[in-house]
Amino acid sequence: MELRHVRTGVILGSLVALAVVGCATGKTATMGSGDPVADRQRLMKNNGANWAEIQNKVKAGNVEGVAVNAEALALHAQRIMLLFPEGSLTDKSKAKPDIWQKWPEFQAAAKNFENRAGTLRDQSVAKDAAAVTATVATFGRDACGACHTPFRVPPPPQQPAAPRS
Amino acid sequence: MGLGSQAGCLVLALVLLSPAVLSESAVAQAPSAAEIARGKYIFGATGGCGCHTIPKQPVNAGGRKYDGPFGTVYASNITPDRETGIGGWTDEQIITAIRLGRRSNGERLVPVHPYTVFNGMAADDLKALVAFLRTVPAVKRANQPKKITVPMFESVFLPAWLSAFAPRETPPATVPTSGVARGEYLVRAVGHCGECHTPRTMTMATDNSRFLAGNPKGPEDSEVPNITPDKATGLAWSEEEIADYLGTGNKPDGDVVGGLMGEVIEGTLAGYKDLTKADRLAIAQYLKTIPAVKNKIGK
Amino acid sequence: MQRRHVKTGVVLGSLVALALASSATGQSMAKIWTSDAVADRQRLMKLNGASWADAQAKLKAGNIEAIAVNAETMALTSTQIAALFPEGSLTDKSKAKPEIWQKWAEFEAAAKNMGAQAEKLRDAARSKDQAATEAVAKEFGRQACGTCHQPFRVPPPQQQQPPPPSPPQQLQPR
Repeated sequence: MELRHVRTGVILGSLVALAVVGCATGKTATMGSGDPVADRQRLMKNNGANWAEIQNKVKAGNVEGVAVNAEALALHAQRIMLLFPEGSLTDKSKAKPDIWQKWPEFQAAAKNFENRAGTLRDQSVAKDAAAVTATVATFGRDACGACHTPFRVPPPPQQPAAPRS
Repeated sequence: MGLGSQAGCLVLALVLLSPAVLSESAVAQAPSAAEIARGKYIFGATGGCGCHTIPKQPVNAGGRKYDGPFGTVYASNITPDRETGIGGWTDEQIITAIRLGRRSNGERLVPVHPYTVFNGMAADDLKALVAFLRTVPAVKRANQPKKITVPMFESVFLPAWLSAFAPRETPPATVPTSGVARGEYLVRAVGHCGECHTPRTMTMATDNSRFLAGNPKGPEDSEVPNITPDKATGLAWSEEEIADYLGTGNKPDGDVVGGLMGEVIEGTLAGYKDLTKADRLAIAQYLKTIPAVKNKIGK
Repeated sequence: MQRRHVKTGVVLGSLVALALASSATGQSMAKIWTSDAVADRQRLMKLNGASWADAQAKLKAGNIEAIAVNAETMALTSTQIAALFPEGSLTDKSKAKPEIWQKWAEFEAAAKNMGAQAEKLRDAARSKDQAATEAVAKEFGRQACGTCHQPFRVPPPQQQQPPPPSPPQQLQPR
């Protein structure tokens, strides 16, 4: 077998396969805008808004109302990995290069977020006020902070107002 | 007012009215805007006569296909087109078709158009409905002939079936205007809800002993829900929720209706969504009064 | 150039590239091409329903600005819809109609429309204008959800039991 012919084939095949994969994941990789940085920032803003609402609802004693927000967090969590493709570390991004250097850890952090949000939702559906309150007390640190701490460039000291949506 | 001016008014009134009296028929033939609006409202309460409209195609132009054990029929063109629609029919002829199922040429309608149910509509409402139908844009589309597979269908089978099996609504002397009676009128006759929501007997007639108890094999192969007040298998929503649903398609769990029910809520030029809140509540109130029938539809 | 040598290479190369791409995007690739698509999209749709129910409850209570978070959640989920209906995913459990794949362009447009309607609702809520938000909310169910459910979904045969007075209850623990 002529190796250089095979090699040509390998290159051709890889390119085609990558293009196909690129197109296929491209359908889900972004949220229609084609800009993963903008898309993930939009998703994270909505995470923040849902989290803010969870806290408000718990304060108001609305334990069952938390489920819809927690489920939103859980579903958004599933999309995180796709929104951080290789090479998406632009000037606008607050992501740290550590994400791609420690990809399995990043993946674990996203999964952790998904799991904790799912637990919170289940506790809310079960109308378990004590469990919901306990979860919410540490959720910010355990679900969000566990990823933000190693993988996000911290926002400047001037905190913007809590996102409404 | 003095006697002289009263007499003067009377003379003036007579003078003005006499042409109207002399040409009474001319006045009677021109429906008022109010009557047409009433007709449009009734039209919406039927679901916008959606059976006569192919979705996204001109309203009332017919052509929609219905397969049944009798064969296949196509909905008629009920636009005011003179050649292919009902433009050349008199009011009486149109009303006869709607509630008695006979055309001006003597032909019987196949009761996919549920004339035995529409027979429950009040005369005033039918008159207004016809007035509105005549205002819908005329569309030239010839009716497609039906394909009947049952021998002696029109001469023997259909009349026998109608008299033996098909339940028939009767019209009220006056149109009920509010409350459960109003709801009953809207559900049983105008809205013809039973046509989809009542299970069928072996002869394919509606089984009114299980009125609105759902149909596992409804139109377009749909599973049509049981909307009797049965707690386990029927409709447990509040009256407010039912009324809201008919007006918007919103269900209490946040779901939104689709399919054929979505089609009739949306309607064509008008639909269930255009019913007043009072009417939708009346429908809901009536639904709470019908017998609860245990009939589980779907898995 | 010997074609069959090149072809061998193409096959080898594709396999290696796909394997590499798989490991990089991992979970996500599996999500696109497993039969989980039905369960995933039913879960997503349930979230849409719960979000819309929450929004309606807030509207009733006059809590206008808070509707924005539900609307934005729905806008975000709408961007996922098309990918959750891959060819061949019409299983027994699914309530999808074959029309989805026969009229794919229309289906995609309906999903995009849902997003546009949700953004409209979000923006009205953000403006804190009660009248404007009510006007959008009045049509939202039919325009954002109904326009797709009507042609593309098999209607459920039973009506869901109504939720308790405040929030929705139908999210099942997984």
